[in-house]
Amino acid sequence: MFDGLRIAFSRLRGLARRNREDREFEQELETHLALLTEENIRRGMAPEEARRAARLRLGATEQLREANHELRGLASVEGFFRDVGHAWRMLRKTPGFTWAAILTLALGIGANVAIFSIVNVVLLRPLPARDPGQLVVLAYEQRGGKLESYFSYPNMRDIRGQTKAVFSGVATYRTSFDGLGSGGHAQRVLSAYVSSNFFSLLGLRPPLGRLIEPSEGGVYSAHPEIVLSYAFWKSQFGGDRGIVGRGVSLNGHPVTVIGVGPKGFHGVYPFIETQVYLPMSMMMVENWMSRSLLQNRNGGPFQIWARLRPGVSVKQAQSALNVVAARLASEHPKSDAKFSLAAIPETLARPFPMRPNPVPEVAALFLALAAMVLVLACVNVANLLLVRAVSRGRELAIRAALGSTRGRLVRQLLTESLLLGLMGGAGGLLLGMWICGAIGSVSFSPGLPLLLDFPFDWRVFLFSFGAALLTGVLVGILPALRASRVAPGAILHQGGRSVAGGRQRLRSALVVAQVAGSLMLLVVAALFARSLQRVQQVHLGFDPAHVLNLSMDPSEIGYSDAQARVFYKEMIERARTLLGVGSAALAFTIPMRTYTPQMDFIGVEGYTAPPGQPKPLVNFNSVSPGYFRTMRISLVRGRTFTDADNRKAQYVAVVNEAMAKRFWPNQDPIGRKFRMTHYSAGHWLDVVGVVANGRMLAPFGKVAPFFFVPFAQNFGSYATLQLRTLGPAASVIPEVRSLVRSLAPGLPVFDVGTMREEISGSGFLLFRFGAVLAAALGLLGLVLALVGVYGVTSYAASQRMQEIGIRMALGARPAQILKSTFAQGAVLVGAGLVIGLAGALGAARLAASFLIVSPTDPLTFIAVPLGLAVVAFVACYLPARRAMHIEPTQALRFE
Amino acid sequence: MNESRSEILQGTLDLMVLKALEALGPLHGYGIARRIEQISRDALRVNQGTIYASLVRLLQRGWISAAWGTSENNRRAKFYSITRAGKKQLATETENWERIAGAIGRMLSLEERS
Repeated sequence: MFDGLRIAFSRLRGLARRNREDREFEQELETHLALLTEENIRRGMAPEEARRAARLRLGATEQLREANHELRGLASVEGFFRDVGHAWRMLRKTPGFTWAAILTLALGIGANVAIFSIVNVVLLRPLPARDPGQLVVLAYEQRGGKLESYFSYPNMRDIRGQTKAVFSGVATYRTSFDGLGSGGHAQRVLSAYVSSNFFSLLGLRPPLGRLIEPSEGGVYSAHPEIVLSYAFWKSQFGGDRGIVGRGVSLNGHPVTVIGVGPKGFHGVYPFIETQVYLPMSMMMVENWMSRSLLQNRNGGPFQIWARLRPGVSVKQAQSALNVVAARLASEHPKSDAKFSLAAIPETLARPFPMRPNPVPEVAALFLALAAMVLVLACVNVANLLLVRAVSRGRELAIRAALGSTRGRLVRQLLTESLLLGLMGGAGGLLLGMWICGAIGSVSFSPGLPLLLDFPFDWRVFLFSFGAALLTGVLVGILPALRASRVAPGAILHQGGRSVAGGRQRLRSALVVAQVAGSLMLLVVAALFARSLQRVQQVHLGFDPAHVLNLSMDPSEIGYSDAQARVFYKEMIERARTLLGVGSAALAFTIPMRTYTPQMDFIGVEGYTAPPGQPKPLVNFNSVSPGYFRTMRISLVRGRTFTDADNRKAQYVAVVNEAMAKRFWPNQDPIGRKFRMTHYSAGHWLDVVGVVANGRMLAPFGKVAPFFFVPFAQNFGSYATLQLRTLGPAASVIPEVRSLVRSLAPGLPVFDVGTMREEISGSGFLLFRFGAVLAAALGLLGLVLALVGVYGVTSYAASQRMQEIGIRMALGARPAQILKSTFAQGAVLVGAGLVIGLAGALGAARLAASFLIVSPTDPLTFIAVPLGLAVVAFVACYLPARRAMHIEPTQALRFE
Repeated sequence: MNESRSEILQGTLDLMVLKALEALGPLHGYGIARRIEQISRDALRVNQGTIYASLVRLLQRGWISAAWGTSENNRRAKFYSITRAGKKQLATETENWERIAGAIGRMLSLEERS
């Protein structure tokens, strides 16, 4: 150890004093030579001969100098710079090759950088909070249900009280949409109602004003205060520093702006900007949550974050939670049987806790696809380098003859490829930034304040740098090892003539790998595209054409429920009379809009849930008369709603076929009764109609039970006006807007869009995103593979030029030449297709859980290999045809 | 090239250089080379230049030190002398060498006898 240090130190010193020591060594050698010469003269040699003999005796001074240098200085460092310089000159000499290589690598690395920076945001990048590693999200399972993250108030309170040993703080939050009024104009915002310790738990500091403080919020509506997010403050208030203390209104209630959140803090979800924060106690004011929820343990609205005490691991916290869960389960067997709690590190609970969490798998799948693209790019560049190594055979042979060792040559060649890798990496980083910027500017879904921002942090840079280095080595190592195995004599004698042989074999293997790899990529991409297509073709059970949706919430401008009822009644009557409108209806939620679901546990008369299972949880929608006509959902039995189904009448419901089949199999469901736990004030609902199954929640999977209740019997201030139009749906937007303006000045109208847009937006977001990314990667892979196949076949043909010339001179027909040249490439393509098909089956199985079509979808597995075969064969055919048209005399003179 | 030369040979040369310096006091490179040739009765006639690699190695380990002086023909020359650490190292190495040489010798004679 000490020895090593000492040597390193003296080497470093040697490097620093290089020039002086070089001169000294020079002098030392001179003295040595002089002494040797003198002795030789003493022995009787002629001076001239004595000098020559002395030189021989001492050995090659050049080598001595170099050896001395290497021992003394940090030869590797110095050699490295020399290699870099040399590599740079060599690359400059062949700009065509260099640009092609850099561009190819930049494409490969760029794809990886883009995918990685998305993964980074979803999975890796911690919240901009103090010690983000200590943050965990809590989730629970209740009565054998699935993992939930919305806690009831009593459970949240018990957990907070009983986990003080492992958590230094437990904060809750609840997001919702609200209307923020300021200066006579209201707009819809995504708001978070947070417990008073929320900001202090995260350790956030405001750039302006103050944040909600732990001392606040205990008292009902005592703190009508609001904190704006930094981005919202910038965009909506122009970064006005005088904002603190200003009064604004939230759903018509006056609140005071007390501060602005820190820059870069976007709230609790990735990809979504939470725009304002309010104390939890303000929720009561908002009256969308009944106070009975404070007592009910059966589900609730509170999401929980906790901070681990320093030194406490997630595992320790988990075992403390197990104790709490067991206690809750035994104390409240009715609601909390089989209650279990889970603490999940915050980065693994995005966007919400799931079990099993599919996010890492999706991330791994896409990173693997991107890596595949990079491998294809590497193979292309490796091919180029192999060809280049042949043309540089003479240079390498000469250097070997002059005494360069094999290691030295490998190092030199590797430096070149590393340099290529790094330049490709720089290009890739720029490309990745550009791709991310492009993704960020695409609008995927109306209504959500999407934040498609992929900041480049040190993780992305480290990843890019690592990818670049790895690429450099991968690309260079095989060509370098091969090229350095030179027999100087052989090459120098050959005069640069074809030294194909073994190298051709290696290149052939690369082509096979490339075809196989691109087939795998394309198959996965095609499976995603097919899934998207399947989703879009699915029988929805309603007709999305010519339907316009506009959402509003009169409570956002302070309307009471009574005022809102009057407003809606008038609006719908007037809307029906608008030119170009066929029918109109109100609905609480619209199909596939996943961020406004309505669901409840139901009790069905004459139906008892199997023991140990929770009450059935069913999704529903509150709709006005005319809804089924507007959506064109066909009635199977009974009737739909009328204006007579109001608060004074018997409460009624219309169920879908799936629900009828589930609870009243082989019976007439009309006249049967069920009731909800939280909604419709506990009234029994009479089933008055059965409608056809519709895809209300997801475009795929089995249709789940679903029911409808009259809007008047389950009134909420928030509603979506749905219009069936005679012409294009979007054409009536201006009239409807002015209608709303005339009835309720200042009321924000949001989520305006056609039903078609809605369906292809939010509900299909994942598939669209996945399909687009996979398709982009697949196409990139295809192009790279084709370039590779074409390049290798062309090169092989040019290598055989002389042979072809001789054969033609001996009477071979062009067709024969074509056949043999083409066959050479075609065999490789065929082998690649077979191997790739096997690989694709495996890759598809891995991706199966994200697909809607079967992972062995026959159409994909026939069409994609066929298509690839056709283009790959064309890539083989073109060079073959060129070979066929060669003049024998020209071919013989070729080299 | 030098990279492929065996460790043992390097070590042997280093040992001989140390021994020469211990026996004769400060010497320049040429002197050391001559001395090794004389003692080995020209059995080890390698290129004299190789001595310099050995000298750099020994200097780096602190087993010898160097100072500029004037040679017998009035030229500037670097004179090397053994340090205390070098003497200790020489003692250890000599012992090692003898043990190994003895072992190899016994081994070889055994082979001959059988």
